[in-house]
Amino acid sequence: MRRLQARFVFSFLMAMYSQVLFAADLEALPGFLRSDPFGAIVAPDRSGADLASTLYDAQHRIMLTGSRGGYVSFHLVVKLPLPGLYTLDVKISDPTNKVQIDLFREWFHLTDSDKHYYPDALIPVHSTYSSRLPEPDNRIPQQTAQAFWVDVYIAPDAHPGTLSGSATLKAGTKMMTLPIQVTVLASVIPKEDVVTIDHNSYGSSWLAQQFAASYQRNPDHWFESDQFFGLIHAYHRVFYEHRGIFHQLGYGHSGKVGPEFAPVLDGSGKRKHITNWSLYDRHYGPLLDGTAFSPSRRGPRPIPFVYLPINPEWPASYEFWGEAGYEAEFVNVVSEMERHFREKRWTQTNFEVFFNHKKRYKGFPWDGDEVRFPKDLKYFNEYGRLLKEALPADTPVHFLFRADVSWDMEQQFKVLDGVVKLWCAGGGILSFYKDAPKMLRNRGDVIWYYGGPPSVTDSSAAITEFPLRAWLWGVNGYVHWLTVSPGEDPWFHFDGGQTALVYSGERFGLTEPIPSIRLKIQRNCLQDLAVLDSLKGRKSLDSLRAEAARRYNDSSLDDWWNPRPALADLPSDQWLGSAIDDATRHTQQALQHPAASAAHKVHQYALSLQAEAK
Amino acid sequence: MKIPYLIVLSVSFTFATVGTPKLSPEASVAMQKELEDVARVGSVMVDGDVCQKIVTEQAKGFLFVTVPRDRFLAGDNYDVDDAAFNTVKKTLIRLSHLASFPADVNLWMPIERHPGKIQLVIRNRNEMSQFWNWGELYGDMDPQMETVLKTGQRVTVTNKPGWISVLAPVYNSLGDVVGLIETVSQIKVDAHENVK
Repeated sequence: MRRLQARFVFSFLMAMYSQVLFAADLEALPGFLRSDPFGAIVAPDRSGADLASTLYDAQHRIMLTGSRGGYVSFHLVVKLPLPGLYTLDVKISDPTNKVQIDLFREWFHLTDSDKHYYPDALIPVHSTYSSRLPEPDNRIPQQTAQAFWVDVYIAPDAHPGTLSGSATLKAGTKMMTLPIQVTVLASVIPKEDVVTIDHNSYGSSWLAQQFAASYQRNPDHWFESDQFFGLIHAYHRVFYEHRGIFHQLGYGHSGKVGPEFAPVLDGSGKRKHITNWSLYDRHYGPLLDGTAFSPSRRGPRPIPFVYLPINPEWPASYEFWGEAGYEAEFVNVVSEMERHFREKRWTQTNFEVFFNHKKRYKGFPWDGDEVRFPKDLKYFNEYGRLLKEALPADTPVHFLFRADVSWDMEQQFKVLDGVVKLWCAGGGILSFYKDAPKMLRNRGDVIWYYGGPPSVTDSSAAITEFPLRAWLWGVNGYVHWLTVSPGEDPWFHFDGGQTALVYSGERFGLTEPIPSIRLKIQRNCLQDLAVLDSLKGRKSLDSLRAEAARRYNDSSLDDWWNPRPALADLPSDQWLGSAIDDATRHTQQALQHPAASAAHKVHQYALSLQAEAK
Repeated sequence: MKIPYLIVLSVSFTFATVGTPKLSPEASVAMQKELEDVARVGSVMVDGDVCQKIVTEQAKGFLFVTVPRDRFLAGDNYDVDDAAFNTVKKTLIRLSHLASFPADVNLWMPIERHPGKIQLVIRNRNEMSQFWNWGELYGDMDPQMETVLKTGQRVTVTNKPGWISVLAPVYNSLGDVVGLIETVSQIKVDAHENVK
C-alpha cells in the first residue's frame, strides 16, 4: 500500500514537472511593451499590444534591423507557470565582435500608488543567465515571468549585412530556441545628438546613502576617496553611454559649497585667492579632459557642460555685496579659475555661471532660479558685469551665463540679451512663445527646456515626448530636473521614479549605477532623432518634423505649442500657477498619454527614410 | 512592522553617516559660551526696525493662502525688500565671524495676526539651523522661541544631538521684541548636508 502511494506521488510529481516544462515559454517583445512578472503586458502599454508580435517573421525568428553606431533593443520574457530553474542564453555570431549583446534582468518594482509591478531598473547579467522563478531577490509571490532587456550594440565600423543569433531557454530537460537575425544597415547614426538631454542632480550626499556599504567602509574619508570620485564619474558615464549628459549642482540655496565642487579659498577682500585645487581636479579633471569616458563605447570626450560653484556667497562673500571687496573677491578668484582651466586646456566644456537659489529658501533677497519679480534682474546684470571683468576677452575657456527661467522669461530674453547665453526654460510657459527658440538661437544663445521624468506607471513612450518635443520645437536640449533620486525603497515601495532614471547597483554587488528601461527608451529615441535630423538635406526639416509628429500621436506641429494667453501681457508677478495650467491646456490635451508604440512609429519612419536613402 | 523597521534603519543610517557627535564636555561648554556671546552682541547690533521691513506686503498677504490648484502660491509670491534684507544679512554674517568655529546667525520673525507661527527670514552660508525644516515658509513657534519673544531672555537650545543654538531677542526702536536671532553651530559639521 505504501509502495503504491509512493508510486502515485512520484507519477503525479513527474506529470506536474512535465507540465511545467511543456509550458515553459520564451517570448520576444518590442522595447515599448513591458511585461509584468506574470507575463502580461503592463496596463499603460496595452495600447500597443497589437504590435506584440512585430518582432517575429513568418518562421518565428526575431528580426532586428539597425544602423551602425547605435543600439537595437527588445525584451525577452521567460515564462514558467510553476516554480523552477532555468537558463537563458542570448548570442549573436559575429567573428569581428562589432555586434555585441548586452543582457539585463528587469527588476519589477512594486509601486505604492497602484500596487502593481512595473519593470524599470536593469541589472546587467551575463549573456548566459541562470536563475529560478520566482526570482529570489525580487520576492514576488507566484511570479511566473522574468523579463530581460536585450541591447544589441552595433559598432560604427561593423560590416553591413546580416548576422544570426539565438535566444535559448533551458528549463529542466526542455529547451526552446528563438532564432535571431540582425540586419546591420550601412547607415551610421550620427555621433552628435540633435538635442542635448541633461540629467540633473544636487550635491553628492545622496551617493553615500545609495552606496551605503561603500561609504561604511571608509566613513571618515569616503568623500575624498577614489571610490567616491570613481562613482561620480560612473554616473556621468552611464548617462553619456545613453546619449545624455549629467549635471551635479555643488551648492545650496544659501551658498554652502560642497568641498569637491570648488577649489579651496583663503583670505578676504583683495587678498582672497585659491589655495588648493586638489579635490576639484580629482573630481573634474577626468571629466573635463574626457578620460573618465575612456572605458565607454562612445569613447573619451570632455563633458560639454558643467556647473561652476559660483553663487552669491562664492567666491565672494555676500558680506561685501555691492562693495569694492565683493568685486575684488569675485574678479580675482574667477580670473584664477579661468587661468587654471586654460592651463589645463579644458577648453571644450561650457562652464556655467548659474544661480539656483530662490528667495523663498531665505538665503538671498533675489531669485536666481525662475525669476518672478522683474526687480531681481538687476542682480543678473551686475554678475554679467563682474564676469566680463574677470575674464580675458580672448579666453579660449567657455564661461557661459545660464539662467533657468519661467514666469518672466519673455522679459528676460530681452533684458538679459548679451548677458545670459544659456537659457533653460520651463516647458509650459515656453510653449506660449513659438518664436523664441529661433530668435535665441539666431543670436547665438543656447535654449533648453526642462521638466521631469515620467513615472513608470505612464506609457513606456512617455519618456520620448521630451526629446521629441525639443526637436520639434527647435530648441537645443531638455533637462530632467532630478534623475538620481529613486526614493527610500525603490525595490519594494516604489514612488514611480519621477526623480530617477538610474539606480544604485550596490544591491546587486555592483559599484556603479545601473540604467533603467526608461533611459534605454529615451536613448533609442535620441538615436532616431539624430538620424531624422541628419536627413534634412534630402527633405525639409519642417516636413521631417511634421511627419514625425503625425506618426507619434497623429498631431500637427502646432499641437505642440499653445496660443499666447492674455496673461502673458500681465506683469509676471501677477501670474497664477493655475492660470498657467489653464493656458497650457491645449498641449496637455493634445499630447497626453502617448500610445506605447508612439516612438516606435517614429523609429519606423526613420528606418524607412534610411532605406530610401540606400 | 515595516514602519518601526524603517525608523530603526533610518536612525541607524543617520548615526552611521554622520557619526555620533562627540566632544569633550569642556569643549562643548566653550562652544556654547562663544555662541552666547555672539547672541548677546547680536541682540544689540541687529536693527529690529530694518528687520520689520524685509518681508513684503505681497509675501505676507499670500503666506497662509491655500489654493488646491496652486500649491506653490505662497512660495511663488514670497518676496523681500532687498535693501533691508541685505543690511540685516551683512550684520548677521559679521556676527558669525565672532565665533572661532563655523557658525550661522539666522533671523526669525513672528507673523502678525498669526500667533504661534514664526518664519525664518534670513539664513546663512553654513545652512545650519536647529529649527528650520528645509523648504518651509513658516512653521509652528517652538516654546523656547516663544519664551525669547515674550521675555526678551536669551535661551540656549540643545534639543538635537550635536547641535547648539542660542536664541536672542531682536529689538526695534520702540523697545519691542520684534524677532529673534538663532546663533547656531554643530559639534561635527557635515560638509555635504544641505548642498542641494
